[in-house]
Amino acid sequence: MNAPDGITDDTRLTPLRLIIMLFVLTLAGALGWAVCSLPEYSSGLAVTALAELSNSGVLNPVTAAVLNYRGYDTLLEIAVLLLAVIGVWSLAQAEPPAAFEPASPVLLSFMRIVLPLMILIAGYLLWIGSFAPGGAFQGGAVLAGVLVLLRLSNQDFAIWSHEVWLRFCLVLGLSVFIAVAVGVMAGGGKLLEYPRAHAGMLILLIESAALISIALTLAALFVGGRALSDEDSSSASENGVQPK
Amino acid sequence: MTLWNTAPWLVWCIVLPLSAGILTFLFRRAAPWIGIASALGSAIAVAGLAAQVMHSGPLRYSVGGWGVPLGIDLRADGLSVLMLVMSAVIAVAVSVYAACYFSDTDAADKHAAQAHQRAYFWPLWMFLLAGLNGLFLAADIFHLYVTLELLGFAAVSLAALAGKRAAVVAAMRYLLVSLSGSLFFLFGVAILYAAYATVDLTALAGKVQPGPLAWSALALMAAGLLIKGAVFPLHFWLPPAHANAPTPVSALLSALVVKASFYILLRLWFELFSAVVTPATATFLGLLGAGAILWGSAQALHQPRLKLLVAYSTVAQLGYLMLVFPLTQNAGSALTAWSACVYFVLAHACAKTAMFLAAGNIAHAAGHDRIADLDGITQALPLSVAAFALAGISLIGLPPSGGFIAKWMLLQAAIGSGEWGWATLILAGSLLAVAYVLRVLWHAFTQVEVARPLHRVPRTMEWSALALSLLAVLLGLMAARPVELLRTGAPASIHAPGQT
Repeated sequence: MNAPDGITDDTRLTPLRLIIMLFVLTLAGALGWAVCSLPEYSSGLAVTALAELSNSGVLNPVTAAVLNYRGYDTLLEIAVLLLAVIGVWSLAQAEPPAAFEPASPVLLSFMRIVLPLMILIAGYLLWIGSFAPGGAFQGGAVLAGVLVLLRLSNQDFAIWSHEVWLRFCLVLGLSVFIAVAVGVMAGGGKLLEYPRAHAGMLILLIESAALISIALTLAALFVGGRALSDEDSSSASENGVQPK
Repeated sequence: MTLWNTAPWLVWCIVLPLSAGILTFLFRRAAPWIGIASALGSAIAVAGLAAQVMHSGPLRYSVGGWGVPLGIDLRADGLSVLMLVMSAVIAVAVSVYAACYFSDTDAADKHAAQAHQRAYFWPLWMFLLAGLNGLFLAADIFHLYVTLELLGFAAVSLAALAGKRAAVVAAMRYLLVSLSGSLFFLFGVAILYAAYATVDLTALAGKVQPGPLAWSALALMAAGLLIKGAVFPLHFWLPPAHANAPTPVSALLSALVVKASFYILLRLWFELFSAVVTPATATFLGLLGAGAILWGSAQALHQPRLKLLVAYSTVAQLGYLMLVFPLTQNAGSALTAWSACVYFVLAHACAKTAMFLAAGNIAHAAGHDRIADLDGITQALPLSVAAFALAGISLIGLPPSGGFIAKWMLLQAAIGSGEWGWATLILAGSLLAVAYVLRVLWHAFTQVEVARPLHRVPRTMEWSALALSLLAVLLGLMAARPVELLRTGAPASIHAPGQT
């Protein structure tokens, strides 16, 4: 069997490799020098962030930074997540589930115990995000775990066969985020300038919507292709023009 | 104050395409209409913003009302407005073209994958536009990184959209290049934040001091941007990625996406690191540009395929942009060189989009894009060949095109500061451009007795190419306004003592 292109077990020191090695070593040296000249201790913006915490609507400085101070970054990051799914879906179709292969009974009984707990934990993480480490990203990751387990045991046909609903749930987080970001401008504020009295509630609303989208996004990336019920994919695959 | 003056136009430049990204993903049948409407809507927002900046100077906008250093600021000055205008014009033209391109049932490469391409082109393109507009308005280096990622992922997915093996391989390489470029950039951001505890461009500019920290941050960020911007010798990924994509995508990638990296490089060089950069580094970047002009043109000269020729011409034209760094070293001609280079970006964007769209039309009609077999194509597609020729005039830099004005100002700056080497290079590059443009036209204008059967090209596709190429030529006649606008908020480092 031949090794794939470009991968060989040749370890000779060719001139090119020597040049690359020297270049990388110089880079590492320069970066080491730079890092050594960093101030020994820098609190960054932590002091400012804590000072403004009472105006942010939440009690956890990380959530305040992610959803309020730098909420605009997060808005675009949620867009990047959605974009990742669209990008993957544009490339390939999901593997059809191996429908005739029953999941292991051990896995199934394990799931019966942990899945309800995982859903509970996801909700809990979302809730405590306002005053302790947690939030939509952490909760979404746990919820994505639920979907991955369902996938591994071939129990998730119902989720991935409703393509239209899937798309609505995927865009939910970004849509609510944009709606809130623009909605608060109606009161004369700037983009994403939450009214102080409602900041906490609006952040929770955004995070709840984002939780669902993040969980589905991660699970969709795990599944790795657009749903089988996608109306365009069936005709495309018949002609055999889709990349594998 | 009227509503026109106080409306937050810059917010709509970002929110409109972002929302259109969602809508086009949800509602596929209406996607082309939503896409065109959003391109038009963002163009109106850009026009409003341009009027504001012309009326009352550069403006800043604190998202969330926090302000620097805690929050994120957006800003619009002459440079960002011109970039936004460029992307708005290209966006409208390419959207109209794409609506026709993806729904044309008489296509040469007619297969079911077209439905699939149509379904995914629009959301990806809308997110690309949102990323671009967000990037041009960002005044914060971490936020620049976020917009770079949005832009990069959308661009890579679009490059892979054709679904053919060559396209997917090229897109994979593009993905790796784009990711490593972003990571280099992020590394520089991390160093700057650790050292100076802020990520705002303006705030950082006042704090950055020459030293190992600033040097390594500059080196890392510049390296990342040079890879993403396909500057010679880091251009290796560009020709296959741009040439194998569907036509509207090739145009967007070549005209807009590579310019985003160059825009950030301009911001970093003239604002953030203006106290750190040295003439030696400027000359080094200029030499990379020289390499790009010569190598890119030489490659374009012997490409067998039309789209590859156009892609290599992008590599060459990006080289001219690098000349801004050495040519601004002389204080007397700095402003001329700076304006020249930004004008070059605008002219190239129009000309390159027109050229790719025309090349796409030719490939669409002929069913292939082998240059040697294009004899007589003018008889079938006079409009598209005219568009190609007009775009070529701007790329070569013949009067009165936008490319001519840009090169003229570059030459003025080079001769004004006694840099005869750079001046010779600019002229040599133009001669090479003459050669590769004529190489295509030579074949296209050859008369043939019996025309080969050709696929029909929809009128809209021909006209959108021609309109942009006319704009590229006419840009030379309306240079005064943009150059004037460019001085609004131009960095202090390029203003010579006697000039304003």
